[in-house]
Amino acid sequence: MLPPNEQRLRDAIEQARKQRTPLTSRGADWQVDLAGAYLIQAARLSATPLKGYKLGLLSPAKQQQMGIDHPIYGRIAADMLHESPVSLGQFLQPRVEPELVVWLRAPIPPSSRPDQAAQAIGGVFLGVDLLDSVWRDYRFSLVEVVADNASGGGFLLGPQLLPTWPLSGTLRLFMDGVCVGEGEVAALGDPGERLQWLAQQVGGLQAGQFVFMGSPAAAQPAQPGVLRVELDDHLLLCQLTP
Amino acid sequence: MPGQPVDAAAVQLAEVLEAVWEKQRAPVEPLSETAGLTQIDAAYAVQQAWTALREARGEQVMGHKIGLTSQAMQQQMGVDQPDFGRLWASRYFAPQDTQATIPIDLFWQPRLEGELAFLLGQDLEGPNVTLQEVLGATEAVAASLEIVDSRIRDWRIRIYDTIADNASFGAFTLGAWQRKARAFDLQQLGMLIYKNGALVAQGVGAACLGHPARAVAWLANTLHRYGTRLKAGDVVLSGALAASFPVTRGDVCTLCMQGFPPLTVIFA
Repeated sequence: MLPPNEQRLRDAIEQARKQRTPLTSRGADWQVDLAGAYLIQAARLSATPLKGYKLGLLSPAKQQQMGIDHPIYGRIAADMLHESPVSLGQFLQPRVEPELVVWLRAPIPPSSRPDQAAQAIGGVFLGVDLLDSVWRDYRFSLVEVVADNASGGGFLLGPQLLPTWPLSGTLRLFMDGVCVGEGEVAALGDPGERLQWLAQQVGGLQAGQFVFMGSPAAAQPAQPGVLRVELDDHLLLCQLTP
Repeated sequence: MPGQPVDAAAVQLAEVLEAVWEKQRAPVEPLSETAGLTQIDAAYAVQQAWTALREARGEQVMGHKIGLTSQAMQQQMGVDQPDFGRLWASRYFAPQDTQATIPIDLFWQPRLEGELAFLLGQDLEGPNVTLQEVLGATEAVAASLEIVDSRIRDWRIRIYDTIADNASFGAFTLGAWQRKARAFDLQQLGMLIYKNGALVAQGVGAACLGHPARAVAWLANTLHRYGTRLKAGDVVLSGALAASFPVTRGDVCTLCMQGFPPLTVIFA
């Protein structure tokens, strides 16, 4: 059972999703703190075994905007992993971000050091975070976005494994052949440090889990058409349908 | 269900198949016709009973094979999903260097196909296993040649017949395991097979359920329904990358899989 304020925020999010109407941000009115927001997130995604996590708000600029000095995370349930074609009709306000995703071959205990966390990376994939904030126009407070699973809606993975984290390269996002976003892999920071932080927050990561490591490019509205992500000779293709 | 074999009936059919396998009797008419075997689960029960029967006589299971992974084969069988069988170690032929010799007399009506083999480094348990998890959990990949054979007369099989018949498994060989091949683009992987020097099959990774690792994910998820899982150390043959072709005594077949050393089978 969630405390009353947390329950109120959770109900608001779930009702809005059910009614398919975005919510208007109410800033700090919920009287829920960050820990409470993560409680809501966990409660909403407790039914299914977790496929992994996503990281959000990675850039110092975004963090500053939210008044924090660390990223946020969301949870990935099995039914959030999609394969082409993906119907956008199931989402409220879909946006897409090109990402790198790590697959863990070993657990990362909460007390791990960054270099130990990096050792657990068993493979890297191209990915797409199909964001779907319940908050109108993606205007939200920190507590609101965290309670809303860090805007995590759907997730796509590329078909080819990169054996190690790429040290450089440009992630590019194309919609119907037009490049709509790009960013340097280096901007994602040190994966070991990111994983170590996440493991600490969630009480450890498990072998076999995926972690979406964030995007070096701004999110773009998702529209029906062909979504394409490229990094060097790696490719992720997905048909987005209405 | 009326007409469906119960366990005793599964054992009985397994004994029939075993007798054909051991060449104590000729291939039989389709079990779907003669024994009312017209349920997928009942067919797997026969396969399971046959495997148990062989294990009791010293057989070992190295892993699984996946069949019916191409659209063409599924259409031909009137199904919309693959099937699986067990890799029996007594029919694994290790190559000397890059060449394996396999006695043709083991088989009734052998055909050859080229596949990718996955060696798992970690357990994979369904449901919801994705192809990316398969790639992650894979220790190494090898090129493989599989002999398929049928204990059913003239290959006159329906899906139930081939499932009971261990997915028409005959024998297999494997090229050297390559860890770096986990990172190949397995969808795009090209494959050629030469028979006696002539090109007889050309295939591509995507011919196997769109991606060979997707077939392995299907297997993990299907085994979950039967209460089991893929284990570290298991070998999985992911399914043919091109149509199979008949082979006979004296044939020399060479598989050229992009990025792998060539692999040759001699039918003695």
